[in-house]
Amino acid sequence: MSRIGVFVCHCGLNIAKTVRVSELAEFAATLPDVVVARDYKFMCSTPGQEMIQRDIKEYKLDRVIVTACSPLMHEKTFRKVIENAGLNQYLLTIVNIREQLSWVTHDIEEGTAKAKALLNGAVYRARLLAPLTSRVIDVNPDVLVVGGGIAGIQAALELANTGTKVYLVEKNSTIGGHMAQFDKTFPTLDCSACILTPKMDAVLQHKNIQMLTYSEVTEVKGYVGNFDITIKQKARYVDHNKCNACLACTEKCPGKGVSEWDEGLVKRKAIYIPFPQAVPQKPVIDRESCTYFIKGKCKLCQKVCEQKAIDFEQQETFSTVKVGAVIVATGYDLMDTKPLVQYGYGQYPGVYHSLEVERLFNSAGPTGGKVTLRDGKEPQSIALLHCIGSRDKNYCEHCSRVCCMYSLKFAHLFKEKTSADVYQFYIDMRAAGKGYEEFYNRLIEEDVKFIRGKGARVTDSEEEPGRLIVEAEDTLTSKFLRVPVDMVVLCPAIVPRADSKDLARLFNLSTDKQGFFMERHPKLAPLATMTEGVFIAGVCQSPKDIPDTVAQAYGAAAEALTIVVKDKMELDATTAMVNPASCCGCQNCVRVCPYSAPSFNVDKRVSEINEALCKGCGLCASVCPTSAIIARHFTNEQVLAEMEGLMEF
Amino acid sequence: MTDFKKIEENLKKEAKRLLESGEVTVVLAYGKGFDEKHPMPFAAKSVADVDNIVFNEYCNYNMARYLVRYPQGTKIAIAVKAADSRAVIQLIQEEKIKKENLVLLGIPVIGMKNPKTDEVIDSKTTCGMHNPVLYDVLLGEEVHGQKIVSPYDVLAEYEAMDKDARWQFWKDQFDKCIRCYACRKACPMCYCDPCFIDQNKPKWADKAPQSPGNIMYHLTRFHHLAGRCIDCGECSRACPVDIPLYLFHKKVAKECEEMFNQVSGMSIEDKPVLVNFRVEDSDKILE
Repeated sequence: MSRIGVFVCHCGLNIAKTVRVSELAEFAATLPDVVVARDYKFMCSTPGQEMIQRDIKEYKLDRVIVTACSPLMHEKTFRKVIENAGLNQYLLTIVNIREQLSWVTHDIEEGTAKAKALLNGAVYRARLLAPLTSRVIDVNPDVLVVGGGIAGIQAALELANTGTKVYLVEKNSTIGGHMAQFDKTFPTLDCSACILTPKMDAVLQHKNIQMLTYSEVTEVKGYVGNFDITIKQKARYVDHNKCNACLACTEKCPGKGVSEWDEGLVKRKAIYIPFPQAVPQKPVIDRESCTYFIKGKCKLCQKVCEQKAIDFEQQETFSTVKVGAVIVATGYDLMDTKPLVQYGYGQYPGVYHSLEVERLFNSAGPTGGKVTLRDGKEPQSIALLHCIGSRDKNYCEHCSRVCCMYSLKFAHLFKEKTSADVYQFYIDMRAAGKGYEEFYNRLIEEDVKFIRGKGARVTDSEEEPGRLIVEAEDTLTSKFLRVPVDMVVLCPAIVPRADSKDLARLFNLSTDKQGFFMERHPKLAPLATMTEGVFIAGVCQSPKDIPDTVAQAYGAAAEALTIVVKDKMELDATTAMVNPASCCGCQNCVRVCPYSAPSFNVDKRVSEINEALCKGCGLCASVCPTSAIIARHFTNEQVLAEMEGLMEF
Repeated sequence: MTDFKKIEENLKKEAKRLLESGEVTVVLAYGKGFDEKHPMPFAAKSVADVDNIVFNEYCNYNMARYLVRYPQGTKIAIAVKAADSRAVIQLIQEEKIKKENLVLLGIPVIGMKNPKTDEVIDSKTTCGMHNPVLYDVLLGEEVHGQKIVSPYDVLAEYEAMDKDARWQFWKDQFDKCIRCYACRKACPMCYCDPCFIDQNKPKWADKAPQSPGNIMYHLTRFHHLAGRCIDCGECSRACPVDIPLYLFHKKVAKECEEMFNQVSGMSIEDKPVLVNFRVEDSDKILE
């Protein structure tokens, strides 16, 4: 005999508008073993919580059912409530009548009927629940930051300043990320390098930060508090311990590669540093363009290196770091605009994408900061085309958020550096942000021509060879325009990194429709992910500007700290276990587990589960053909009982 | 046509050699039954046993069924026809047996017969292959030049039925079931001990040979064999009440092949398809 209390939440009108909540509570009171049933406007509020605790004592409840929102939302809250009233926290059952019920119907009859069925199932299940004890584990105090852009740098610095040891992994040969490619930042127009390079240097100098450039995460094992992460150090062919950054090698090198840093606008050497302020300021050899690797002889760099740092035999190496928490800040790619043939990128030399233009403005860029076209001439008229691939059902539905503002920045810089006419082709100007609207107004006064209409096509001019024509509809005057220009700048959609899917798989992150990493909750847990102990910051979560990215980096650092400052942490008791008598040795559990918790005992011919690794997802229990695996808190008996209760309706 | 006598001779010769040299401790093959039409599964453990070995067109048992009964590490030689070799491969994939402990005596054969009906077994009730996929010794000449028939052609009539008709079809078939579990016994992939249907906690289904329990037993067994059944057809031949179990297995195999582009038991490098995640896997199953 159980003594069950049922607490029905209205959630304001969220639930009450499509479920007759008082009827549901009355119904609950009629069910066997239910000794008290109540409804209340906000069960999660203090009066609601107190009501539950009072009833537990008064009615000597040994099971509590809360019919409210998703357990993801408030299971923890209510577990604490009943624990404080002296009940084991696992004797709580949440029935989700909001996300899975009231929000997906308009019909109050249907809603109430389904709520009754769900509640009946929960009562059946609650009877079979058993008290469980949470596990306590040791926590590793170190943190891994993946991605050395501004988000990763900021998060690493914040953590390191608290005394936390940080591993910062960056796949390029320098940290800095996209921000290091920019010249100015909107809306204040302060110089990107002036605000970023001191931070890059601080990372290099910080005794608590171990910087791992030219490296990638290849394997993630473990769980919150105790991750084992394998990092691949790609072969640099230069021993960075010996190299004294004299860069004599880069002068002599005859190899020619395309400079990724300058977005392919110029060539670079085969042994190179991406840009003069790179951190670390030590070169790497690009195998693809190195004469020695292509033809088998050259080694000029080796001859000029007094430090004997060049090592053509160097191999990639793998190392493992142990950390308690991870921050993923891997940034973005620009959408490849070549498939959008109507804009002529890659076809007409006068068409650029925005990152190329950032490099043109940059004093450390290919033109030394002068705005010239690929033929060396200064453009006399320039068109900026917003929303290329963004806000476009055919490509990316999302708004890339920063394009309006950086287009204004571009327009300002074009006006400053050239005498060109500047046209903005936009759908809407989105200038929400501190000082952004003011910046927009300033640009209107700077005689930039704003045309409300998305650039539809770029063609070459028949009358004036070499010039381009931008076609668009001006939606304010309903006129079709053909604007002749010398230079077209496309503002492509910001998209997830090409390899973000692999990373998502490594860290078990969910991705949204566009492929950006999913936060646990868009409002209340924007930096946490569904994987406990893994946090996200910056554009890898969604397009955003530098201020927001930096704010998120601070936040992610704080989130990571909440885990690693403690020596011990409590983990859910809802793990799986194997009944060896029923195990048939098929090893399905070993194969499906994303956390490598089950292993096969070859001598006994049965599977065993390492509870420290188990997250209680239940995959193993569901593929076990002989029901040998018992998922605690979701045992077969409990689930079958719940189904029996559901099917009575 | 296959020279059965020649294969029998070769089988005996190989069995003798392997047992004599001590290379294996047991040879799984076929032995004399009460008449020619009813040979029996046979395990030869000594040279003296070899005389009992036979091979004829009625030797359709899938001897892979018996592999998992021996302790790990036992050196076993096994006579395998096409589908039997696929069962061996599937068991290797599932790590129930190791290739290094096995000697596969491959039998390419055409014209095997069902002793009950004397019909030739072809792609209708098996995978329709003639040559073993994996073998160490070949006991006859490979069969070539046969018309290649898809093992799924037989599904045409079944697939033409709508949902309700299919449900009715299986309900009628399962009503016949007497729960002798011969299908489970004959199946090389049914190695679970205990089988879910024998469990009492939780009791997944009624154990009496009545409709709801029968349906639960067969549907769950089908589900457990999805992506694993190698289409030897032994379950259907073992069935005393002639339930065409092969139809369901073939249908699932077809779906599986279309969805994941993998056929069970074709390569020891493959991973069991339903418990293996590949990034390139189709998401169709979620739709």
